[in-house]
Formats: sequence, C-alpha cells, structure tokens
Amino acid sequence: MTNLPDAFAIAPVTGSNFSRELRRAGRSMVAAKWPLLALAILFVVVVVAIFGPWLSPLDPNRQNIMMRLAGPMAPGPNGATFVMGSDALGRDVLSRLLYGARVSLMVGISAILVGGTLGTIAGLVSGYFGGWIDDVIMRLGDIQLAFPFILLAIMFLVVLGPGLVNLILVLGIGQWVTYARIVRAQTLSLREKEFVEAARAMGDSTTSIMFRTILPNIVAPLTVIASFNVASVILAEASLSFLGLGVPPETPTWGSMLAQSRDQLIANKWWLAVFPGMAIVVTVLSFNIIGDWLRDLLDPRLKERG
Amino acid sequence: MPKTRHLLMASTAGMLLAGTAFAQVSDDTLVVGLSADITTFEPAAVSSRDNANVVRHIFDTLQSIEADGSVVPDLATNLSISEDGLAYTYTIEAGRTCHDGEALTAEDVAYSFNRAKDPANAFTGNTPGFVFSSVGFVDAVALSDTEVQINIGAPNQIAFGLLAEVYVHCKDSYEKMTLEQAATSPIGSGSYKLESWTPGSEVRLSKMSEPGTFQNILYRIIPEASTRSAELMAGNVDIITNVAPDQIDAINGSDTAAVQSIQGTRRMYVGFNLSPEFAAMPGGDAIQNPDVRRALQYAVDVPAICAQLLNFPCERATGIVNPPNANKSLTPYPYDPAKAEELLDAAGWPRQADGTRFTIRFQAGRGRYLNDENVVLAVAQYLSDVGLKVETDIMEWGSVYVPLIRERNVGPLFFLGSGGGLWSPLYDMTDLAKVDSGTNYTHWNDPRWFDRWTDIAASKSPEETRVIIDEMLQVFYDDGPWLHMYFQPDFYGVSKRLNWTARPDEKVYLFSATLN
Amino acid sequence: MWTFIIRRLLQSVIVIIGVTLISFVALQIGGDPTFLFVSERATPEEIEMIRKALGFDQPLHIQYLTYLGNILQGDFGNSLSYRQPAMDIVLGALPATIELTVFSMIFAIGLAIPFGVFAALYRGTPVDGGIMTLAMFGQSIPNFWLGIMMILFFGLYLNWFPISGHVPLIMPLLQGDFMTALTNIPSSIYYMVLPGVAVGFYSLSRNARLVRSSMLEVLGQDYVRTARSKGISERAVVINHALRNAWLPVVTMVGLEFGFLLGGVVVIETVFSWPGIGRLVFNAINQKDIPVVQASVIVLSVIFIALNLIVDLIYARIDPRVKL
Repeated sequence: MTNLPDAFAIAPVTGSNFSRELRRAGRSMVAAKWPLLALAILFVVVVVAIFGPWLSPLDPNRQNIMMRLAGPMAPGPNGATFVMGSDALGRDVLSRLLYGARVSLMVGISAILVGGTLGTIAGLVSGYFGGWIDDVIMRLGDIQLAFPFILLAIMFLVVLGPGLVNLILVLGIGQWVTYARIVRAQTLSLREKEFVEAARAMGDSTTSIMFRTILPNIVAPLTVIASFNVASVILAEASLSFLGLGVPPETPTWGSMLAQSRDQLIANKWWLAVFPGMAIVVTVLSFNIIGDWLRDLLDPRLKERG
Repeated sequence: MPKTRHLLMASTAGMLLAGTAFAQVSDDTLVVGLSADITTFEPAAVSSRDNANVVRHIFDTLQSIEADGSVVPDLATNLSISEDGLAYTYTIEAGRTCHDGEALTAEDVAYSFNRAKDPANAFTGNTPGFVFSSVGFVDAVALSDTEVQINIGAPNQIAFGLLAEVYVHCKDSYEKMTLEQAATSPIGSGSYKLESWTPGSEVRLSKMSEPGTFQNILYRIIPEASTRSAELMAGNVDIITNVAPDQIDAINGSDTAAVQSIQGTRRMYVGFNLSPEFAAMPGGDAIQNPDVRRALQYAVDVPAICAQLLNFPCERATGIVNPPNANKSLTPYPYDPAKAEELLDAAGWPRQADGTRFTIRFQAGRGRYLNDENVVLAVAQYLSDVGLKVETDIMEWGSVYVPLIRERNVGPLFFLGSGGGLWSPLYDMTDLAKVDSGTNYTHWNDPRWFDRWTDIAASKSPEETRVIIDEMLQVFYDDGPWLHMYFQPDFYGVSKRLNWTARPDEKVYLFSATLN
Repeated sequence: MWTFIIRRLLQSVIVIIGVTLISFVALQIGGDPTFLFVSERATPEEIEMIRKALGFDQPLHIQYLTYLGNILQGDFGNSLSYRQPAMDIVLGALPATIELTVFSMIFAIGLAIPFGVFAALYRGTPVDGGIMTLAMFGQSIPNFWLGIMMILFFGLYLNWFPISGHVPLIMPLLQGDFMTALTNIPSSIYYMVLPGVAVGFYSLSRNARLVRSSMLEVLGQDYVRTARSKGISERAVVINHALRNAWLPVVTMVGLEFGFLLGGVVVIETVFSWPGIGRLVFNAINQKDIPVVQASVIVLSVIFIALNLIVDLIYARIDPRVKL
C-alpha cells in the first residue's frame, strides 16, 4: 500500500546535534504559543492523573443512591458538595473525573506503548532482513487491516471479558501495523546508508545495528504518530465502553463516564456528559496540537516554508 | 467556486423535497418499537419474550392465559383430563381457517405438537425446551377432526397452562416446507399474517381475521433506549418496550406519550451458589451457613433500589412465588444493616482488622434486565457497607454469562431473573423442582423443600396443596438460596393516540388496541 | 500490471483464510457455544444431541477444516440463531451498511477537500482558524455521543430529520425494481443524514486537516511559485496546479477510510437502528452465531481488499512515479 506520508523522511540524528535539535524545538514551541498551551494542559492532566486520589474530594466509587443525579454544587453526603454533580448511582462526578484521568491516560499511553513496541520490532525486523520474514510480517499486517479493528476488538473483549489489561492489549494490538509500516519503510532506506554500513563494518551485532543505530533515527516520526494515536485510542475506549466492552463499570474512565451518561441525555442531566466530554476534548486537542507541531518541526520542507 | 455553489443548492433542494416524504404514522397501522431483534418465525424455535409477542399474533394456541391469570378458550372449546392425569383431550372449535386457506383441524394440532418434538428437527425453542420437558410430553394424537389427545409423562397440575403456550400451525403447508423456509414463512390461524420481515430492522403483519382493530402492525427494532424514547416522543411510534427508568419522566413530560409502569412477574434475586466447588471459594464457605444468608437479607435496601434505580415503588419479595400466590404470613425482610452486622458477628464472621468480614465474588450479566448493571453495583455497595469485600464481575450477557448459568457455574453470588406467572404458585416453584434441575442454579438441596414435591403430587385437594406450598415457602424464606430482591417492573411507553393497557406478564398483545 | 493483480489476488486468499481463522479461534476460546442454543430446562442428553446437531462435538481443527471445505463449495453454513443461510443474512444486511458508509465517505471526503483547501488558501485567517477548530473538536467527540445528541436536537427538538430507521436504496436496485429505488432516493438520503454525519464527522475532521497540510505543501512548491510569478490568476493556480497534486493523498484516503468508517458503523447502526452488517455482526458475536460472524468477516475483508487494490491501480494511473 502506498499510504506512507513522505513527510517522515528525515536526516539521521546523531548524538552531536541532538541538543541542538532540542533547543530548536524549544524555540519553535515558544514562538508558536499553541503547542506551549497544549503542553501546559497535558502537564496538568498528567499531574491530575498522578495525584488524582489525593485531589479528589470524595471516594469515586462510594455510591449514594438516595442522592443520585444531583446537579452541580448540590449538597453531597456528610456536608460535602457534589461540585460537578453526582451520577446515576450517586457517585461524585468530580472525583470520578479526577480518577478517570489516570485510567484514561494509562489506557491511552499503555496501548500506544504496546502497539508501538510491537510495531517497531516488527518493522525493524521486516525492513532489515527483508525476504520471507518481511513477507510474513507484512501479510499479518494485511490480515489485520482487512479486518475492521472494532470487530477484532469486540470479538476478543466479548470472549476474554472486559478488563483493563485486555483493553490495553486489544487497543495496542490494533495499532501495531501503522508503526510497523513506517518503521519498515524507514529501515529499508536507512539500512543502505553509510553510517549503517560503517556500524556493520565495525562488526556490530545485528541487534545492535537495528536498535542502536537505526532505531534512534526513527524515533522522531514515531513520536508524531504516537501523539496522534493517543487521541484515537481514548476515543476507541469510549466506543468500546458504549458497547459495554470497556473497563469494568466501577472503574472510572472519561470514555466510560460519557458512555454511561447516554440514558440521561434525554432527561437533560447535562453534567454527566459535559464534564468528561470536555476532559476528552481538551486532552485530545492537546495531543493533536503537539502532534501537529512535532510534525512541522521534523519536516524540513514545511519548516522552510515558514 | 461556482461548482460548489451549485452543489449546495442542489442538495438544499433535495432536502426540501425529501422533507415531504418524511414518514408519518397512519391510522390503520400500529407501530411498536422493540429493543431486541426478532430472530425466527419457526413456531417451535421461538424462545425469547419479544419474539413470542410477535408470533402470538400469527399463531393460535389451544387456550390463552389472561392478564389476571385466568384461563380462557382459544382454539379449544373444551378440555377433559383423564383419571390418571396423563391424557389431555381438547375439543377444537370448528370453522378456524389457516392462512393457506385450509381448515384447521385436530390433525393440525397433533402435527404441531409432534413436529416440535421430532429430534430430526432439533428444535430448541420454548415448546420443546420448556413446555415439553416440564410436562414430560409423550405424543399427540388426533382422535377425530375436532378432538386431539395429548399424552404426558407424569401427572402435573399446571400442564394445561404450559400446553397453552404451544403454537398451533398448519400441517399441509409445513409438510411442504424445508426448515429454512418454515423459519421465514409462518402459516397459522391467528388474526394476523406475516407480510414482510427484514431481520434486524422490522416486521410487518397484516390482518386476516378477528380479533384485531388495526389493519397492519409494524414492529421496529430500536435497540438504543434513548432512540426508542425519542421516536415515541416524536410521535413516530405508538408503543415502546423497556423504557429506561431514567427516561420515564422525560416521556411523561412530553405531550405525545406517557409511560405505563406495571408490576411484572419476573422474579429478580441474588443467588447463593451452594455447590461444593463454590464452598471452596472465598466467601463460598460463609454462605453455606443459612444464618449468614439470612443476615445478608437485612443488609440490602431493596425498596430504595426500586425507587431510585428502577423508578418504581416496589415491595420486596418474600420468596420465589409472585405476591398473589405467596405465603401470606411472611413479611419482607426489612433493611436493617445493624441487625445484619449483629447476625454476621454471631455466625462467626466478625470484621477483621481491615474492617472486612470476608471476600466474595459477585457475578452478573449486563444488558438483560432493567438497569441490571447499576442494580448489581448498588447491591455490592450495600453488602460492602456491612463488611463484605465484594468483587463484582459483570459480563457480557449472551456469550459469557448465559453459558456459565447453564452450566450452573456462577457465583458464589450471582444476579439473575426468572420469568414467573400469576396463575399458579407451582409454576413459579418449578424452577426448583429437583436438586439437579437445570434451573436450580444455586445447587440448593434442602430436603425440607425438595422432599415435599412428592407430597404435592400426592395431594388430593387444592387446600391440601396450599398448606404444603406455604410450608415450603417458609423454608425458602428462612433458609433459602436466594437473597430476595423484587419482581421486575415493566415500562411501556404508549402514545397518547392509542388506547392500550399493558399486562403484568410481559405479554404485548395488540388485538384490542384502539385509537383514541 | 496483470502479474501485480494476480499476485495481489493470491495474497488476498491467504489474508482471508487468516481472517476466518482468527475469528474462529476467538469465538471458540470463550467456551462451548451449545449452551446458547438449548433451553434452560434441557437435560444433559438433549444438550448432547444439540451439540452434535450443531457440529460442536468435533475437535476444533476438524470443525475449522470442515468449514473451509464447505466454503470452497459455496456453503457458508446456517445462522445458529436465524436458522437461515448465514451468507444470505449477511448479504441482506450489507446494502444498508454500504449506503451508510458511502454516504459518510462522500460527506467526509467531499467536505474535507473544500474545507482543507479554503483553510490552506486563507492560512492564518479566521476562516482557517474556524475550520481547524471545528476539525479539532470533530476529532475529540465520540461518534455515539454525537449521534445521540443529533437525535435529540435535530430529530426530536427541531424535528428536521428522522430519528432512526432506514429506507432501502440498493436493495430494490438489486431486485431490479428501479422505480422503487428511484422514488426512494430522497427519503433514503433524508434518513441517512444524521447517522451519516455521526459516522463521518471524525473522518471529515481528520481529512480536512490532511488536505490542508498537503495543500500547503503543494502551494509552497517551486512550480506553483513559478506559475504565480508568471502572473497566472490565483484561481487558475489553485485549480490547475495545486488541486491536481493535492488530491493524490485523497485517493489513498478513500481506501483506508472505508475500513475506518466501518468501525464507526458498528456503533452508529445501534444508535440509529440501522439494519446493517455492523449491528448484525455485533449481535452475532454476542450470541456466538459463528457462521454469521465468519460470513460477515469474509465479506468485509473481500470488500476492503478489493477497494485497496482498486485504489492502488488508480494511484498508479494518476501518479506516474508509482510503478506496479
């Protein structure tokens, strides 16, 4: 298939110009403003994800069915306040949102790590060795792509049962082909390059060439893809929650909170959807802005155009 | 760009044109929005409630059970039961006609029964799977054009009610059809015939004979609760089933429709799995003790769950039998967490240093019963409040939970509902007919219950039976394997243009519905 | 080129076998499906009988090989819940899904191109900002939520569009009933608007951004600059040079988009009660109706593979740099 964006053709990164690249990145970010804001938002999200349990005013799983569907700022149990209202079981929306940051982000990032790692290894092996190994790996990729991802996910989650680990694995495995194809294309062009030949002449092992010499030159485009993918994984998690195949119902994620809000939309209980919805929009937006910025930064031709 | 402009204009014009084609309901068609798909029109393969509700308009049955539990004639004008209780002879009303034009006779009735039993057909619907296995069906014989005799394996006081669930279909047509054809082309003698069927989408029926007010009935499959409610409120659908409890107020607030909330007969309970394998699991050992089970009865506030999560005030169940037939001397367990804790302490399960008494897994399926996921989570919360560490395990209903249920391998705690009836306490109690009954999911084996079935079979009068039943229900109340919950309410959204009353037994029959 | 096509077709066979194997294994590891097809009061003997009748008593590899053998003879088995030939059911549901997918693809790509082009031409202006903000939101809203909100707002509150349901378009065509198909067109599209937008909105957003950056890239190229410096009008530059080159990535999108939109269709078909293959296969998975799952998966894979093959061929036609 011919869908590789050639924007990812990049010059080899070597140790000496790495810090220069980093400084350039910093300057470009300050100049562009939006990426800076996005980064700040992501920083806040990560802080919330880490410290959520200490920040949240109430136990996110403590039900109070007598106080269910209370609006924002309604009085909660024991003198507390439901700042963002309570859900269908009388759980505090704000607390679930704060806890949800952790699970949503963990699902997003772990899935990318799983998919990225699998894909990178497959792509490196495929591109470096070529031949039948390449054929087998690429055919496996074709099989997966011929299969709408959501069907694969449904099939395995229905059978294995929804759960955090299963969810991450399925979402991760859904991603590997993208990474494998990019890494393979890059590896194909890099393996003939002089610095790779040099490493080979020095007698470096194959593994070392693949992971120490070639891989660092591919990391940049992978980061771009990854930052876009976190967004789509968070949305995929929401869709699976809608089908009842997300995390277990007591575990809060933004996607599952949104999915659970759907019976209440017609009754106008807006706080159930608006707050987790905003959290998703802001986070996904930030990841996309960072991805855009990274791509512009790494693509020499776009940079030239200014 | 001029091209774009043209395109925009063209599509706007298209929209306006289309606007006039917007489907509106018509006076001769009744539209029903169902939540689950209709999978078959094979009378012997029908098993789900929704499917049966549609099919019942096409096929007649020997007798009908009314909403209040009374039995009225349908095809059969008379029933006589032999001395030994094994032969049921029905007299078939003359003059009924099949949709294929043939007259319906006793031969068709016998054929319908025997065809459902034929192992070559491998049917698994309600008729062979539930009715026949419950009554021990032997065979059916047409004695004459108007008389059919049905032979069963053992005397059974509720056999007439069960046999009334069998759909009678027409021999001549079915003998010509393959099983595949039969699944899509039902030939019965009911008021309506199948006009068209698009799986996953809609079923159209048209009227053949009385009774029935509407010329056409259109069933639309609308799985998403919000979409169903929106269609009803917009006036495109006349009746919807399974209204989400939290949408009732929105519908009642609209000027097009209102919700009929009705006390249903489905018995919802939390089961205690008492089998030896589960006794070896955490918490499985604790619930072996009837005192622990009784303690937990006090821990759950069932009326609160009903009022809050089901949007329906309900009285807590006292057992396995629907209220009209229940043991009148029993009162529902009150919500008394302090008493629950006291009883748990006394039963030898005090709170440990971490505040918990024991850990227990609580399994359930999702998406089958009214608000089931939230009810399960709420019960888990109540049990945690008295010191249990509850690990909820909520699974996909069809593909994962049902196989576990059928293997009787759920628990130690599990959430389940069982369809009930109002016409006989024995119908409800049949779930626990034998220790190894397929429906005894708890593996309960108390002889004070199971040994009494022989007494019931030997009982000579309804009064005598009633005494035995009450004694059994007392045992079930005290030391039974169920944490009693509620009888599931049913919510039907009904358009204001329609005059129709919902029944408590989940049967949606539209023969007598009229326009206001 | 013919060798390329033949090689691709051979590869496709392997891909399809792989796809069926994966779905077969996935559905079988959950345990014996027999229990879903017996009543709760069935005796062990009855269960055994049904198991035999359904073929689940055979070892797994035999079951799978038998299935493959039957497929070669054109027999895809009978649906376990509908008791009808599985392929007939799948093909019956396919047209509705194709209608929805094509509609949302036209919506997503048809609007993405003008949006992307305008955003690029007016880079940095409020037009660009507005389009890109919308695109960013479009990429952050789960489709089911968008669908329900549209039902409540455009369907129930404003009463502009039907809330749910489907008017067939392809089905009457296939049955040779051209008059019905023709008269159905307006209402068919009318019913498609809300679900189509719900399915396609994410793609629209992503593609608008793609077109914009690909357009920006082309606008920055030397030959466009040259054309401009020659005094050719901006409109001619855009139409003759920029658009012609910028639509290459769009062709690629069409192929990939199909698979992606199908994913959205599973969810949206449930929300809008659209009688398509997405809902069919979701229910079939839940009920372990293995023949239906298999037949759907095969049909979807074949479509996906064929579409990508066509895309590659078109690509080779319009881009002389690509050799097959």
